[in-house]
Amino acid sequence: MRKFALTAVLVFLGGAFLPGLARDASASISLEKCTLCHGKPEFRKLLVDGQIRDLFVTGDTLAGSVHAKKVCADCHFDVSEIPHRERPKRVTCTHCHFKGNHEGAPQSDNVLAYFDSVHGTAIARGNTKAPLCQDCHGSHAILKAKDPGSRVARGQVAETCGRCHMEIYAQFKGSIHGTALAKGIAEVPSCTGCHGEHRIYARKDPKSTVYPTHVSEQCSKCHSSVKIMGKFGIETEQVATYNESFHGVANQFGSRTVANCSSCHGVHDIRPPADPLSMVNPKNVPKTCGKCHPGANPNFAVGKIHVDAKKKESGIIYWTATFFKWLTIGTMLALVAHIFLDMYGRTKRLRGER
Amino acid sequence: MSHADLAAGKVIRMSLLFRVQHLFLTVLLTVLAITGFALMYHENSLAQWIIRLEGGVHNRGIVHRIAAVLLMANLVYHVFYMLLSREGKPELRQLFIGRQDIDDFLQSLRYNLGMSKEYPRFGKYGYKEKFQYWGASVGIVLISVTGLMLWAEEFSMVFFPKLVLDLAIIIHGYQGLLGFVLLYLWHIYNVHLHPSVFPMNPSWITGKVSAEWLREEHPLEYEKLKEEGLL
Repeated sequence: MRKFALTAVLVFLGGAFLPGLARDASASISLEKCTLCHGKPEFRKLLVDGQIRDLFVTGDTLAGSVHAKKVCADCHFDVSEIPHRERPKRVTCTHCHFKGNHEGAPQSDNVLAYFDSVHGTAIARGNTKAPLCQDCHGSHAILKAKDPGSRVARGQVAETCGRCHMEIYAQFKGSIHGTALAKGIAEVPSCTGCHGEHRIYARKDPKSTVYPTHVSEQCSKCHSSVKIMGKFGIETEQVATYNESFHGVANQFGSRTVANCSSCHGVHDIRPPADPLSMVNPKNVPKTCGKCHPGANPNFAVGKIHVDAKKKESGIIYWTATFFKWLTIGTMLALVAHIFLDMYGRTKRLRGER
Repeated sequence: MSHADLAAGKVIRMSLLFRVQHLFLTVLLTVLAITGFALMYHENSLAQWIIRLEGGVHNRGIVHRIAAVLLMANLVYHVFYMLLSREGKPELRQLFIGRQDIDDFLQSLRYNLGMSKEYPRFGKYGYKEKFQYWGASVGIVLISVTGLMLWAEEFSMVFFPKLVLDLAIIIHGYQGLLGFVLLYLWHIYNVHLHPSVFPMNPSWITGKVSAEWLREEHPLEYEKLKEEGLL
């Protein structure tokens, strides 16, 4: 009977404490088990295409990252046998990263936005080259985007995107935005500044921030801000004057073929007008305009492009507009005066006839 | 003039051909004003509604250009008609602005201000009609020049720098506005709101006016017709 009571107490205690103990134990054991092989620096695999895949991981691999408190099997949960009979699958971040998760991962719908994006839909169609979360954010050394060392931080993200978009990255690095970014200027846009972060769409997709009719709005986010542009001595009314021009009006009414900011200034290779490589350098203007206006000649570069008739600096254009304005007002006043005088005179005449 | 007209006290003021030209002018100028101002004031919500109604900016441009071509054709036809036809030549002679018109204008001003007791006596076309006629004709020619320059922008820019085309846009728009103001304040007053014709001078539809009206507003023409025995 005493024996039975002791067993019962032990079973009860075991039931209460062992699961906790066991979890901690299994976690540490799991790390130890993994590093048994993966902890060797020479642990790597030769892939079929001849590339070498480094499989070296230690207990410090996750240290300092946002997942510092996680262990291997938290993400590689499909691994159940050592050595693995099948190659472990790519990690599915959505296991924890969704709105309403109980794992302590940030509450955000970014993963849904990603699945709708050009990258997410490419993955869904079976394009193995399209990036998953870890291709941009990194796999083990993931840092918060605000951390300057993060692969998706403002200063780093262009290089991250450039790993696949190589030509564009090369163009961007030489552009005014790219060089300013390299100087560490905080306001300058990197890839995500214009294309968005998780919500990246192909430029022909109407949802895209760089869809032809959205470009001027996207550029104006910074370029119409006196606060930002004032720092660099750049004019801010370029967007307003564009919107007033034939190009701008057609664009606002949905024309997809009319010139927008990037048609003339370039896309990833935007350079200041003084730069001889700039598309809007006076020497290159005929060629740039010639993309849409066949036979464009140097006349296209004579006169300001972003002209505002309401400003004195526009010279003859301002004076002509002002002249017509006062001519119209003057004519209206003269005609109204004439009408009233004429009506008064006629009433007088009628009275005289009677 | 038929006997029925004479009996009813009616006088022909606009022949059928002139009425047709006038109708074209009315319709085309309205179309041009609606499509033009919708573009000029594109920020306005009414303008945006009109542009959508016209099927977007591209179609708006096509409508505007078709109306412009028809208007120019109308004007060219009118010029030839006035210079060469049997009906046009005497009309044109009566439309020339002379010393008399300036005197008439000043005289009417003096009369309306109470400085004179004599109101000027007009022929078939007084200074009001002549100002309207020449204002519209010269205005259409000028606005056509800038309009054609902007239409064939690639061709224009072979000869002119961009600055000239920017000026052409400004002039085209403001001239349209000026023409519109003139049309409304001058023509609408003269043929609709003027007490002698209110609500409308019917001659643009029927071609006829009453002899009584002619005697009152264009006494010289009335007397001339009387002398010729046409009244």
